[in-house]
Amino acid sequence: MVGKNCFAIASDRRLGVQLQTIATDFQRISKIHDRLFIGLSGLATDSQTLYQRLVFRHKLYQLREERDMKPETFASLVSALLYEKRFGPYFCQPVIAGLSDEDKPFICTMDSIGAKELAKDFVVAGTAGESLYGACEAMFKPDMEPDELFETVSQALLSSVDRDCLSGWGGHVYIV
Amino acid sequence: MGDSQYSFSLTTFSPSGKLVQIEHALTAVGSGQTSLGIKASNGVVIATEKKLPSILVDESSVHKIQSLTPNIGVVYSGMGPDFRVLVRKSRKQAEQYHRLYKEPIPVTQLVRETAAVMQEFTQSGGVRPFGVSLLVAGYDDKGPQLYQVDPSGSYFSWKASAMGKNVSNAKTFLEKRYVEEMELDDAVHTAILTLKEGVLTPNEIRDYLAEVE
Amino acid sequence: MTKQHPAWSPYDNNGGTCVAIAGADYCVTAADTRMSTGYSILSRDYSKIIKLADKCVMASSGFQADVKALQKLLAARHLIYQHQHNKQMSCPAMGQLLSNTLYYKRFFPYYSFNVLGGLDNEGKGCVYTYDAVGSYERVGYSSQGSGSTLIMPFLDNQLKSPSPLLLPAQDAVTPLSEAEAVDLVKTCFASATERDIYTGDKLEIVVLNKDGIHREYMELRKD
Repeated sequence: MVGKNCFAIASDRRLGVQLQTIATDFQRISKIHDRLFIGLSGLATDSQTLYQRLVFRHKLYQLREERDMKPETFASLVSALLYEKRFGPYFCQPVIAGLSDEDKPFICTMDSIGAKELAKDFVVAGTAGESLYGACEAMFKPDMEPDELFETVSQALLSSVDRDCLSGWGGHVYIV
Repeated sequence: MGDSQYSFSLTTFSPSGKLVQIEHALTAVGSGQTSLGIKASNGVVIATEKKLPSILVDESSVHKIQSLTPNIGVVYSGMGPDFRVLVRKSRKQAEQYHRLYKEPIPVTQLVRETAAVMQEFTQSGGVRPFGVSLLVAGYDDKGPQLYQVDPSGSYFSWKASAMGKNVSNAKTFLEKRYVEEMELDDAVHTAILTLKEGVLTPNEIRDYLAEVE
Repeated sequence: MTKQHPAWSPYDNNGGTCVAIAGADYCVTAADTRMSTGYSILSRDYSKIIKLADKCVMASSGFQADVKALQKLLAARHLIYQHQHNKQMSCPAMGQLLSNTLYYKRFFPYYSFNVLGGLDNEGKGCVYTYDAVGSYERVGYSSQGSGSTLIMPFLDNQLKSPSPLLLPAQDAVTPLSEAEAVDLVKTCFASATERDIYTGDKLEIVVLNKDGIHREYMELRKD
């Protein structure tokens, strides 16, 4: 979710296989660099593989170009990697959030084959997606300061996750 | 052929440690038509002499300066056909970058990729080095940039440079005329003068200057 | 080789969203007025809320043909009740009747998702929420229908009802005033309309309190 010169990215901490809960301290959100985060919901093995490939590609980019990737650039990279597997996709839906060099927030989500959806306000993904849409749509306000943004995102996540059997066990919230 | 000392690769070290094929390629560049580039404070100029072998040639069909992306252009001295191959490869590289990242390729990246291709042709079997040097001019986030790429695959960033016939004269001339905070208009002017310097006598240049001023 | 018949279904889904909120001395029941099938809108002004008794209204989404049949049946049952008992049915009684009626068709169900809103015998707001085959629960607030997944978590967040497992049992009614509850309903429908194509056009709100029944409308997005 986007705020004023900041963004928040949040997820729950449950890892489960269908109805069976495997872990309750799962890290779904990963850091690419200080101002760029990605959350990957879906099949954990695919999420991790994809994440490793993204880190690899980003490190190569850093070495080659001597700079960090812009969020927009990174989103295109994710999209390209996902579409590579058009006919045998990674079963995961990414959420990308980052701050540009001018502190302009960028958020985006994709389907499992890389169709980008850029939004100005908030994006959601995963099993609690629909609940999140409902909560965020009602709670979102433009240009929130970091503190208020944290509160809003946390409340939206918590209440949505409680209405989704496949999500829960607390959450991680990152404010950048 | 099998017994020839060149059967492994055309580009092999001579006992003195030189790659003679590259020296030859540089000779080809040195005898090519003059091209030059000048970096100004708000842009880059590249220029070349467009001297045609015969007045019967349709001059509109000759393109010695080509663009690789909307913000990167390139000029060469040396062999035209080799240049076209490099332009095609570089454009493809730029397009691939754009397709992946949805942003225009930075000048440094494209120059390095192009240089990598040129280097590969000094080491691969069954090929010869490119008989061209390139001047790549571009404008990106880092501002105006000018690079020269040689047949060996080495590349340098320049404030102003020249290549081809009359290099040394042209470079001396540029050294004299170049000023750090020059603007694009002045740079274009200097470029034309430098090229003319190879053809005209000092007196003729003075006349030309009087004419434009 | 057997001939392939196009699959025919006795059911359709006409979409729509219903919400009901119970307060200390009032009950707000609301539903949008859009009726759709697939990507088409059949009507922009179709009421999904019906008054079953003096202090009891029902909002229903799902398959409106089944809903209609259900409403007719309940009206008939209520008429008989009045003849036999010479009084209006209470909301809890209607709640039980609705459950029985739905379960009666356990193996060919009414494809309808209902919320019942009203006042109980003490004049307190009450909301009953159902599934299609009659399982029901008295709650402080509820949402049913196509936009329920969007609205429910928001209501949870705003109204935080006490868990029904808590001892001693706590009152499920919401602490809001009537006006606040109506505003909340408007907010959540405005949000649901943004993301649910089956919700929109107009919002119909029915408020029940000691003064009787009162209806109001709010325009929603029409796309």
